[in-house]
Amino acid sequence: MEPFFSEKHHAVKRLVRAFCEREIAPIAKDIDAQARFPWEVVDKMGPLGFFGIQVPSSLGGAQMDTVSYAIVVEELSRVCAGLGLAVSVHNSVCVYPLLTFGNDEQRQRLVPPLARGEKIGAFCLTEPNAGSDASAIEATAIDQGDHYLVNANKVFVTNGAVADTCLMFVRTDPAAGRKGISVLVAQRGTPGFITGELEDLSGMRCNPVSSIRLVDCAIPKENLLGRQGMGLAIGLTALDTGRLGIAAQAVGIAQAALEEAVRYANQRRQFGVLIGKHQAVGSMIADMATQVEAARLLVLRASWLKDNGAPFTKESAMAKLFASETASIVADMAVQIHGGYGFSKSYPVERYYRDARVTRIYEGTSEIHRMVIARCVSG
Amino acid sequence: MALNIIVCVKSVVLEAPSAALGSSVERTPRNSVLNPFDRPALALALELAKEEGGLVTTLSMGPPVSCWALCETLALGADRAVLISDKKAAGSDTMATTRVLAKAVNWLGPWDILLFGSRTADSDTGQVGPQASALLNKPFVGMASSIIPKEGIFLVESLTDGFVEQYLANAPFAASVHPNAASVLDCALASIRQAFDSDRVEVLTLADIGMDEAFAGEKGSPTRVISMTPAPKAKKCAFIEGGANEQAQALLEKIRDAGLLF
Repeated sequence: MEPFFSEKHHAVKRLVRAFCEREIAPIAKDIDAQARFPWEVVDKMGPLGFFGIQVPSSLGGAQMDTVSYAIVVEELSRVCAGLGLAVSVHNSVCVYPLLTFGNDEQRQRLVPPLARGEKIGAFCLTEPNAGSDASAIEATAIDQGDHYLVNANKVFVTNGAVADTCLMFVRTDPAAGRKGISVLVAQRGTPGFITGELEDLSGMRCNPVSSIRLVDCAIPKENLLGRQGMGLAIGLTALDTGRLGIAAQAVGIAQAALEEAVRYANQRRQFGVLIGKHQAVGSMIADMATQVEAARLLVLRASWLKDNGAPFTKESAMAKLFASETASIVADMAVQIHGGYGFSKSYPVERYYRDARVTRIYEGTSEIHRMVIARCVSG
Repeated sequence: MALNIIVCVKSVVLEAPSAALGSSVERTPRNSVLNPFDRPALALALELAKEEGGLVTTLSMGPPVSCWALCETLALGADRAVLISDKKAAGSDTMATTRVLAKAVNWLGPWDILLFGSRTADSDTGQVGPQASALLNKPFVGMASSIIPKEGIFLVESLTDGFVEQYLANAPFAASVHPNAASVLDCALASIRQAFDSDRVEVLTLADIGMDEAFAGEKGSPTRVISMTPAPKAKKCAFIEGGANEQAQALLEKIRDAGLLF
């Protein structure tokens, strides 16, 4: 008996892990080195429901709960954090806001191809001068009657180079400050939709993170998500869910680092014994295992709260903060246990170390999450 | 030709029994999984049913926890799942298990093909399939790697001792399935939800299938496990020759032959 976990969740974990081990693990090192988005695997993930995890079956989704979503992202990230990121962002900050704030026509038109993995989603908020301070965005959308004329320069867009459906945060009323921001759905192929060069990232290298520019791009009024001026509210709601995905991703990276550290500690001999038998290494492994377990429980609890209709903003922020910092610490310890080999690309912990770092930055930095938690706790 | 295929499966325990606990392990959802050697049998059945039409039923005997392994078979694509679960069947050896399964197969009604995994991951006898075919008085092919319908009969290929044997079998017949027989089954998330959120596994008792309890459970089991201790493992070193690709292929084959990968 485990909290938050039913037999269905065990089955999800077992069956997703089997897929990941078979299809993704063998190529994870190469797609990181080549910075290549593995379409050959992504095309198999679509029919399995990975791109519509919580989408109702009537819209082509798997209709799973948030706990299942966290399990899928953790398991993907355990073998390839870049793909875990692709699935997390697609589901939580693109598809979820469409389901939550879209009208019936938008849901019917936009969600099914995303849920089936035929189209990839992205969330376009960050700009060169707006990141943690989302209200500082400079992208403009001018009302032209039946459409908006949009000019935007969005950077660090996860899935950017492959995304078809992008939630674009734009300023529709320059005089209205925070209430002048709206979300428009921009679709690849629209004249003026331009994908920039891929970012040459330190980690998550298989994810095609890029800039996206909209230059005099006409976006029809029917692609306005929610009402005009609701942009920040939509963004914050999306990020409540999005940070759960990133937290699950961080747990996956930490779990992988722990497993590799244990494997190595049980093989490597120094001073005549396996290094895992040395008290110093054993203590590190104990700390790693404890922190991974704690991080996972925070993620599952926040997911469970969401599934049960309870507030989860504080809990998801705590999960994201703790899990991302845990991933960095655990990956660092795994490198330390490997010694010099841990600093070599011959061993996967080097990749986990690079992948872990950004989880403390994107979808809200650790510092922003501390602010969110402090507001929730202190009032 | 629509086929009625029955696949016998088992929920196996992942952990070896501890000496301190004697020779039995309490089965829990956490330590029990669908026998990995049954997956190729189910995959082969589903491929056949997809190509020829028909229904795939999975059948198991075991404690209530076995229900979850059967749920997994539903998630993987089986049309129907039946569990014989009865305290009077506890402690059954392979003979008693075979009697119960054979009775359940007859209870299920007319069938065309009865499939088994090559063995189980937790007891490794490989006896139930051949014994069931004998009890049911039907032909049996061991280690089937493919089953191809051919003008009313079936061409069954078997991989045994490094040879490919071909048989022509009339339905109904039984077969155990080679671990490499069928492609791997992936499971869609929606299928997992449908299988686990529903109450589709039919749970029956010995009385439900008309089984005389005297022939099941410990009472009906002619064999007894007297003791169980871990066997000493001798380390063996083998050199694989050839180029890198050939070595990798040979290593993969060894892992497959050991039943660790399908």
